[in-house]
Amino acid sequence: MNNEITERYLSKLEQLEFKFKLHVQNNNEIYIELEDSSKLIEFCNVLKLEINLRLLTMIYCDERKTNHKFSLRYLFGSDTDDVFFFVVIFIDKKHAYFPSLSDVFPSSIKYEREINDMFGIQTQGDTTLKPLLLHDFQKNIFPLRKDFHANTELNYTPRKFEFTPITGEGICEIPVGPIHAGIIEPGHFRFSVLGENIVNMETRLGYTHKGIEKIAESMSINDAVFLSERISGDESIANSMAFCQAIEKITQLEIPEKAKQIRLLFAELERIYNHFGTLSGILNDIGFSYGASRLEILKEYMMQLNEKLSGSRLLFGVNQIGGVKVDISNTALANIHSMLDSIFQNFEKILEHIQSNSSVIDRLRNTGIIEKQTVNDLGIVGLSSICTGIDTDTRKIHPYGHYSSINFEQTPRVNMEQQVKLQKRIGDVLSRFMSRVDELRYSKKLIESISNLETGKINIPFESILTPFSSGLGYAESHRGETLHWIMIGEDNSIFRYKIRTASFANWPIIEHAVLNNIVSDFPVINKSFDFSYSGNDL
Amino acid sequence: MTENNQNKIEKSNILSWKKVTLDKILQSNDIIPENFRGKISLDPDKDFVLNSQIGKNLENICPTNAISYKTDPESISLNVGKCIFCGNCQQETPGLIKISNNFDMAKKRKSQLLEIFPESIPFGKTYEEIGNELKNKINKTFGRSLAIREIDAGSCNGCEIEISALTNPIYDIEQFGMHFVASPRHADLLLVTGPASKNMEKALKIAYDSTPEPKLVIAVGACACSGGIFGKNYATTGGIDSIVPVDVFIPGCPPRPQALIYGIMMALNKIRS
Repeated sequence: MNNEITERYLSKLEQLEFKFKLHVQNNNEIYIELEDSSKLIEFCNVLKLEINLRLLTMIYCDERKTNHKFSLRYLFGSDTDDVFFFVVIFIDKKHAYFPSLSDVFPSSIKYEREINDMFGIQTQGDTTLKPLLLHDFQKNIFPLRKDFHANTELNYTPRKFEFTPITGEGICEIPVGPIHAGIIEPGHFRFSVLGENIVNMETRLGYTHKGIEKIAESMSINDAVFLSERISGDESIANSMAFCQAIEKITQLEIPEKAKQIRLLFAELERIYNHFGTLSGILNDIGFSYGASRLEILKEYMMQLNEKLSGSRLLFGVNQIGGVKVDISNTALANIHSMLDSIFQNFEKILEHIQSNSSVIDRLRNTGIIEKQTVNDLGIVGLSSICTGIDTDTRKIHPYGHYSSINFEQTPRVNMEQQVKLQKRIGDVLSRFMSRVDELRYSKKLIESISNLETGKINIPFESILTPFSSGLGYAESHRGETLHWIMIGEDNSIFRYKIRTASFANWPIIEHAVLNNIVSDFPVINKSFDFSYSGNDL
Repeated sequence: MTENNQNKIEKSNILSWKKVTLDKILQSNDIIPENFRGKISLDPDKDFVLNSQIGKNLENICPTNAISYKTDPESISLNVGKCIFCGNCQQETPGLIKISNNFDMAKKRKSQLLEIFPESIPFGKTYEEIGNELKNKINKTFGRSLAIREIDAGSCNGCEIEISALTNPIYDIEQFGMHFVASPRHADLLLVTGPASKNMEKALKIAYDSTPEPKLVIAVGACACSGGIFGKNYATTGGIDSIVPVDVFIPGCPPRPQALIYGIMMALNKIRS
């Protein structure tokens, strides 16, 4: 089935007036190598306008040892079909710059800043890129280059970071962070306000940068599963699943059906407890502590259920290459169903209280509105995009694991799309709140769709020796959205390059647009309604 | 005994009776007859062996189902709260169940009313027990309230989830006199998570310096203790003790809420000694 879609896109590509080499790998990954790399921007524009693709990520790779060149892979994806496009260009190590795609895809700026930080390669003609991840590091340190060792001791050298100055009569700046008032992760926000209204907001992240992509290169594949779980603690299943699937794709390892079912169960359980947490956080930030506490209790119940099933409250240590480590019996499955029933009965009652409380709805409605056009331009994914009617559900577009045997015709996201069309939902905090509620109900449905677990093994041993420099793309839908992991294998089953693009990395830029013209005191609730992970962004 | 008591009453004049004061009740046992069915407990003789026959008999004989017998592992439990002190069980198996004429049976918590034989491997203290012990210590050391500031120095947000779970209605640490504050300037104790990323080094130092004395620092989670899976690399410092002095280390990835308050108690012990 996949091959048909791929064939269709290949024939579309061949009609274009560009010269390139094509090859397909892992069923749905089309690699395009342009013969004339100066035509890259033109080509990407055609991809955007004629084939309706959006930029997913940019993967830079130091291949100087094998190729004497750096390589850059632009990853594009379709919003409707299960197909990925890699546009590959090679960059000479002497002329270390590459063309900027920001005119065609504004979302590329963040990736370009990342590449500038980690590889020291700049975009053509532009020298004003601000640092993203490295703050007070020595100059000319490029961690992801191969000649840099992960354990290098670096001295503290203050570097100046200049926020865009906003001037005018009555405008003042409010710096917030990196340590915030609540129990959340670190990040700096610089507000420029006129009275109470936010005129401009600039984020500076990178405080939790731990060098995950670099230290993965010195780990064995089995150990790296644990690392992938700790990219963002609350997305442990989604991230480890994407990583395992990428490796399984490269080795062409077909995992047992039961393992697929268990992965789906845990992925949805993870989504449920996190959505409860976020809904509770939104209510807490607007001062409705009754609802917040009630939902916190449900979150705690879900975490206790997680612990009973897997031994970890955050579902660490469930996935492994070739399957799962945790077995679920049919009696345990029945327990999950009955537990979810009672939790959701409770939830619907609480929701009734919340929705009938006009002071809650007043605070949520018309707060933090984002436009569909902005969402499209910035390449926003997951729940942050569905609240404006753009559906990027990886489970549906690129079905993986057990999701491929689920009928997606009745999804809540279609519901939200209709609501947006009818202008009942306008991309505000309320619409994000409601799309989370829909997601919760839908996750329950997905879990209920598994009424009986297959018999058989839950994992198959991973022993094969991988071909050096083969690569694969793993993907999963975390509760924040599309998660992409691209892995290139090195010699002796090592990891040559591990590129992680979490939904948080793609989604952070939207907050700067969502807060405009809102009052400063609404910032926490707007921020919480998106529910970004700082650690998943900074890596 | 009973005769003695009656004699006493006959001899004494009612008006000249001494008041029955509290300490007198506790001191003198002589007005409680020996055959009063008071404190009931599971106190097996040395040669007592539990088998399913005894267990089932006891279960049947108890009118209020205060005794229950479980196989796998074989154990018998007695819920003193349910007991109506009929004494049937003592008659049935005098080798296991002992009834004395003591009355000091009141317990602070319902869970303490349950006795189990053979005692399972001690589970340690319950969340509430640790919490209440902690509350007493906080009362003495910090004048009834302990202000905590949480600092994320590069964690994966797993530890944050567990720390914020402490404030939910189930763990509710405010019942023990602890609360989270918004600024290190208001804090007595810093809970620091994460492998201390290089980018947070400066902020962590500033936060530590602005915390007033006496201050405590707790390293929460494997990352804060040693760098965890991230270790020490170009972007991390390999544990927060390389940046600020640490009083207590709480291992775990992430440590569960019970472990967190246990660690906080350890830190308070330190400040008292």
